[in-house]
Amino acid sequence: MIETVLLWLFAGTALAAACLMLVLRHPMRVALALTATMLSLAGVYALLGVHVIAVFQVLIYVGAVMVFMVYAIMLLDVRDRSFTRRFSRLLVPGIAVALLFLAILGGGLWRALGGHATASAGTLFTLQEFSVEFLNDYWLHFELVSVLLVAAVVAALAVLEVGRRARG
Amino acid sequence: MLIAVSAALFALGLLGVIVRRNVLVMLMCMELMLNGVNLSLVTFAQQSGSAAGAVLVLLVFVVATAEIAIAIPIVLLLAQRKNGLDLDAYDDLRG
Amino acid sequence: MSHVLALIVLLPLAGFLVNGLAGKRLGNTFVSAVGCGLPVAAFVAAVQCLIELTAAGGTPRIEVAYTWADIGGSSFEIAFYFDRLTAVMALIVTGVGSLIHVYSIGYMKDDASYARYFAYLNLFLFFMLLLVLGRSLLVLFVGWEGVGLASYLLIGFWFEDPEKARAGKKAFITNRIGDAGFLLGMFVLYQALGTLDMDRINLAFLATPGPAVSASLVGILLFIGATGKSAQIPLHVWLPDAMAGPTPVSALIHAATMVTAGVYLVARLSGIYLNAPEASALVAGIGAATAFFAATIAVVQTDIKKVLAYSTISQLGFMFVALGVGAYGVAIFHLYTHAFFKACLFLGAGSVIHALGGEQDIRKMGGLARRIPFTFATFAVATAAIAGIPPLAGFFSKDEILWFAFASERGGSTVLYVTMVATALLTSFYMFRLLWRTFFGRSRMTAEVEHHVHESPTSMTGVLIVLALLSAVGGFLSIPHYLERLLPMPDAAASLHHLETPLLVLSIVIAFAGLALAAFVYGGDGARAERLQRRLPGLHRVLSGKYFVDEAYETFIGRPLYWISDRVFLRLSDRSIIDGSLHGLAALGRRTAGGLSRIQNGQLHLYALLVLVGIVFSLAWSWRHV
Repeated sequence: MIETVLLWLFAGTALAAACLMLVLRHPMRVALALTATMLSLAGVYALLGVHVIAVFQVLIYVGAVMVFMVYAIMLLDVRDRSFTRRFSRLLVPGIAVALLFLAILGGGLWRALGGHATASAGTLFTLQEFSVEFLNDYWLHFELVSVLLVAAVVAALAVLEVGRRARG
Repeated sequence: MLIAVSAALFALGLLGVIVRRNVLVMLMCMELMLNGVNLSLVTFAQQSGSAAGAVLVLLVFVVATAEIAIAIPIVLLLAQRKNGLDLDAYDDLRG
Repeated sequence: MSHVLALIVLLPLAGFLVNGLAGKRLGNTFVSAVGCGLPVAAFVAAVQCLIELTAAGGTPRIEVAYTWADIGGSSFEIAFYFDRLTAVMALIVTGVGSLIHVYSIGYMKDDASYARYFAYLNLFLFFMLLLVLGRSLLVLFVGWEGVGLASYLLIGFWFEDPEKARAGKKAFITNRIGDAGFLLGMFVLYQALGTLDMDRINLAFLATPGPAVSASLVGILLFIGATGKSAQIPLHVWLPDAMAGPTPVSALIHAATMVTAGVYLVARLSGIYLNAPEASALVAGIGAATAFFAATIAVVQTDIKKVLAYSTISQLGFMFVALGVGAYGVAIFHLYTHAFFKACLFLGAGSVIHALGGEQDIRKMGGLARRIPFTFATFAVATAAIAGIPPLAGFFSKDEILWFAFASERGGSTVLYVTMVATALLTSFYMFRLLWRTFFGRSRMTAEVEHHVHESPTSMTGVLIVLALLSAVGGFLSIPHYLERLLPMPDAAASLHHLETPLLVLSIVIAFAGLALAAFVYGGDGARAERLQRRLPGLHRVLSGKYFVDEAYETFIGRPLYWISDRVFLRLSDRSIIDGSLHGLAALGRRTAGGLSRIQNGQLHLYALLVLVGIVFSLAWSWRHV
């Protein structure tokens, strides 16, 4: 019972913070709103019983990605033209199409799912079970992901080089 | 219900990409999109009881991290070149 | 010899090829030898065939040379046919043709394109023989078109002069208009009878019951072709202009042979015309109208060759009148005598022009009788022949035509007779006028021309003498009786038999009356002629303007066609519609591309929006799977 309420709470918070993201003017505030969304989602994952992912969400997303984002925001002078005029020229068409999108998606989901299946906490995703499953059945994906990370490192070095050359 | 929330998060993220002018905000909206997708993956994984969804979520984490790690430096360089974060100024690939 | 007919046809073709390809290099003597020798050889072969024909009692000789096409069960062959009519025509074509070739040796001696001339002349003979010897209308048509081509080439022989080239074009195009009718006639015949062989066509039409198609329709269609080739109204306009070519060409093509092809066609297909009274009436009517019309124009012409050209048109009208009243053999008789005296007249004119160094205006001649005696003598004999003075050839043939125009049961009438008699009077008048103005009276030549006057070489005068002799005695060879079995003469109305002799006397009187009148008006110093002209200026203007037929054609046919070609076909269809649509398509493509390329404006916002739109579309598309 309490879990359902908490679930609704966390989901609602995530949604609210996401809406705020779109409206706030200062990028730093937007970053904070995004962090709020991510934390709420972590809560949702935890309530669903997928503790592994919840932990990783906080560690990786909030801990690395958002921190990096905040660094970038702090580095740059954000009070330029995109500050005074937040929205692009495609505001109205964008909203219209997005609503259409939501309608179609919502309608499709409604027809497909009928009633909503609420979460039932399962114990399938303890860390031990998860990692065993992961490295047994999905080790190829793991290797590919490491290749991706290597590529990212190389790309970062390349960007450094470009930056160095740009600065002369 | 959670699926609906995930759809809403995704839509909001995409809308943010279309609507906001600041590059950094746009990047953050892209992160929002990824989060929405993650939510739906986790929901399905938990419902069907297979670990595939969770694994995919992990992979999405990694990709998102790598993406941000490269995107932010690019944005920094761009901002230096164009002296601003306004996305409308970054239209050199037109025509 | 089994292929002698093909040989007759192919000998001149060989001459064309040799002279055309190698003549220039091989020199004038060689060209003359080949160019004249081969037609003479063809003449000899034709004589040989005649002998064999007589020995066989007149049964026609058929020779199939080659199967041209085998289409859907019916085969079209190139076959040759030799009967009495063909014999007469072939002998005229090769005989008179050879004589004119010999004449040309002297006449064209100083021309730079000597070899080309003889090549074209031989080409003409080849096609004419194909026309005359062909068994089916198809082969005849090949020859028909071919002589048209040769005529075009020879009229425009000195093509550097644009006027002469235009005359050649006019001849060819006018012929083509007639050929449209000819082709339609051929199509109708083939559709109805399944064959184009002329002997079979005649048999089909003479049999009872006749074929399903209207003989008059076919007759009229084929006659339209004949009007084009034989210069009858309304397609006569090319013949006077054709005098732009060398004079021997005018003699051969536009007097003796090509223009008679129409007459030959009608005579050959007599089976059709015997059963087509409407068509025959049309033939006779147009023939009479043309004869009279051309004769009136000839009275006021001042160019020596133009007088002879209108005279030819007029005499061809005589032949068509004979055909129209059913006297086919008589028409061929007149064709035969006309070939002799008209060729002699034209060649004589050529001799005069040669003697005067190029002068053709009779107002600038005179007093030549004693200075170029041979030319004068032969010209006088031929003039008397055409005027119908007995016992020369023209008298016999013309008198027969006049008799049948009056009395034939197949269409003779008084109106026809009176028109033809009037024409005969005019013929005699203008021909003697020509003789007087050219050869008699005080000399009206300029001094240097007068100095230059000399008699022509033997190659020319020899031919003139031969032709004059033939004009004199040719009438005694009674062609109508020779052709009687093939082309029976029409019956004369019994009630009119008693008028035969009086009318004969009348024709003789007419001929001499013309002579006397001409001598009166143009004799002495010609002052009476000028007074006559001043008293009838309007009439003189109309006649000199040839009744303004050319101008009428230009205004009512030429200019509208030109306007349509320019406005409708060139500007509207070709430029606006065809080019416009193509350019329009290209412009459309360019504009579309231009419009579409505005999507690529470098704005990420727009790209993202388009991504979203795409997603919405695909979701909407797959809605039914939900």
